[in-house]
Amino acid sequence: MTQIDDLGTSGNLADAKSPEARGLSQDDLNKLSRPLRAPGFSGVGVIGILGVAVIWSLIGADVSVDRFVTGIPRMGNFLSRLWPPNFDKIGLIIRLLVETLQMAIIGTLIGALLSLVLSFAAASNIAPRWLYSSSRLVLNALRSIPDLILALMFVSAVGLGPFAGIMALVFGSIGSIAKVYAEAMESVDAGPLRALESTGASRRQVITYGVLPQSAPLLTSYTLLLFEGNVRGATILGIVGAGGIGMELTTAMRLYDYGHLLAIIISIIVLVTVIDRLSALIRKRIQ
Amino acid sequence: MSNAHLIRPTRPTPTESGVLVGRGLSVQYGELKALDNIDINVAAGEVVALLGHSGSGKSTLMKSLTRMAPVEADVLRIGNTDVLGLRSQELRSLRAQVGNIFQSFNLVPNVSALTNVLTGGLFQAGALNRIGLFPARQRARALELLDWVGLQNKARQQTRTLSGGEQQRVAIARALMQEPSLILADEPVASLDPRLAGSVLELLQRVAVEHGTPVIVSLHVVALARRHSDRVIGLKSGRIVYEGPSSSLNNNVIRSIYGDEGEYGNDAD
Repeated sequence: MTQIDDLGTSGNLADAKSPEARGLSQDDLNKLSRPLRAPGFSGVGVIGILGVAVIWSLIGADVSVDRFVTGIPRMGNFLSRLWPPNFDKIGLIIRLLVETLQMAIIGTLIGALLSLVLSFAAASNIAPRWLYSSSRLVLNALRSIPDLILALMFVSAVGLGPFAGIMALVFGSIGSIAKVYAEAMESVDAGPLRALESTGASRRQVITYGVLPQSAPLLTSYTLLLFEGNVRGATILGIVGAGGIGMELTTAMRLYDYGHLLAIIISIIVLVTVIDRLSALIRKRIQ
Repeated sequence: MSNAHLIRPTRPTPTESGVLVGRGLSVQYGELKALDNIDINVAAGEVVALLGHSGSGKSTLMKSLTRMAPVEADVLRIGNTDVLGLRSQELRSLRAQVGNIFQSFNLVPNVSALTNVLTGGLFQAGALNRIGLFPARQRARALELLDWVGLQNKARQQTRTLSGGEQQRVAIARALMQEPSLILADEPVASLDPRLAGSVLELLQRVAVEHGTPVIVSLHVVALARRHSDRVIGLKSGRIVYEGPSSSLNNNVIRSIYGDEGEYGNDAD
């Protein structure tokens, strides 16, 4: 009763309890009540490290405001020469865009399937410890290789053309998605898995009927995101000769065929936007 | 442990005809004696309620019956199977014979009620299941069971769209799909409102009567135990402090199980 009376008169919650009953000291209470607090020791440390890293990078990477400003007119000049787009070779552009899309579809499909297989080995609730650690190691290594490097490697292995691009997309997909798949599988509710085990279900059955259905919406979403990324990625693999529209893009640039170049860029933007919108629609329906 | 029963001839012998016969069950977790020398005997068609505080050993007792807890015992038999002598593959086969009902239902939320029931028969699914299919015989049986729990019209619905009571009924159908010789229900109605709790427990009683499958159910509410079980086992600190017909649950008994704070819904009816 007295507590309520106290509250009524002072209106201060902190006063309502005896000092012994409080969990925090008056000093702490005051500190936590302040709207703005000075950063602590670790806060100052983080800000300091960030500051040093930024300055160090600005100097090292030769960032110059001067050159940026003098570059603006030249950029304007370049853009003005791009206009107007020249769609004379639209047939070629469409053929190459279709090839790019086909590369992305096959690359994503094979990459996703292989990723799924590998992700079983990289999920801590499925794989034994030794397999889990070693497969994570392999996936991390694969993840660190950029797609263009993979494309260069496969061009020298299987020759110029879209097949090298597909191989690069497959391995790039595994690097970027297998670990994410594994994490989606690790995040499923363990209750249903326990229930399945208690019915005498085998390990394979627990995965098929417990892990996969529960993680399916996430797996599908991630696969669509991967596909979006692969469509964008496939457009530049041609730069190193690995098929798709990228080769035509670099050629147009080298030949100063600016109208054609802009037509290619516009077509790529249309394709990528359409794919992204479609994929976003599907993903929304899944969730 | 192996020949301990030889030196205890005076212990009152439970009728050996029970579906479940356990004698001298003990479970030790480090220093803690979670279960201390418990005898349990359950006959076909019986519903046995376990009562006791959290930590009294109710869950441990249930887990120990299928060796999900490290149990030591003189005798532990389910049906004709000596549980103590089983190796891992045989243990899987035994667990397939024991249906489990959980507090949080533990259904796979985004697959249909029918598929959830079908998973109860995975152990017997046979070769067809290697490619992810269930035989027509099992599908018919699952539909029959969904009808029996009153949910056949929701067979296609994802279980996450069902109410808590409906989900627990699907879970009961899944357990029956195992064609179990015993059903263990660990706090099956703790997350349901009282009306639904009653209907789920009634269903478990029907399982015992109509299928002849004995049910062991742990409960928090004394009134529910009185209304929906044949027999009550009261546990306290891993020991049995009361065992008798649920009709003779009186205040003294309740106090012996729960101590002086023994409300636990006793006056709920």
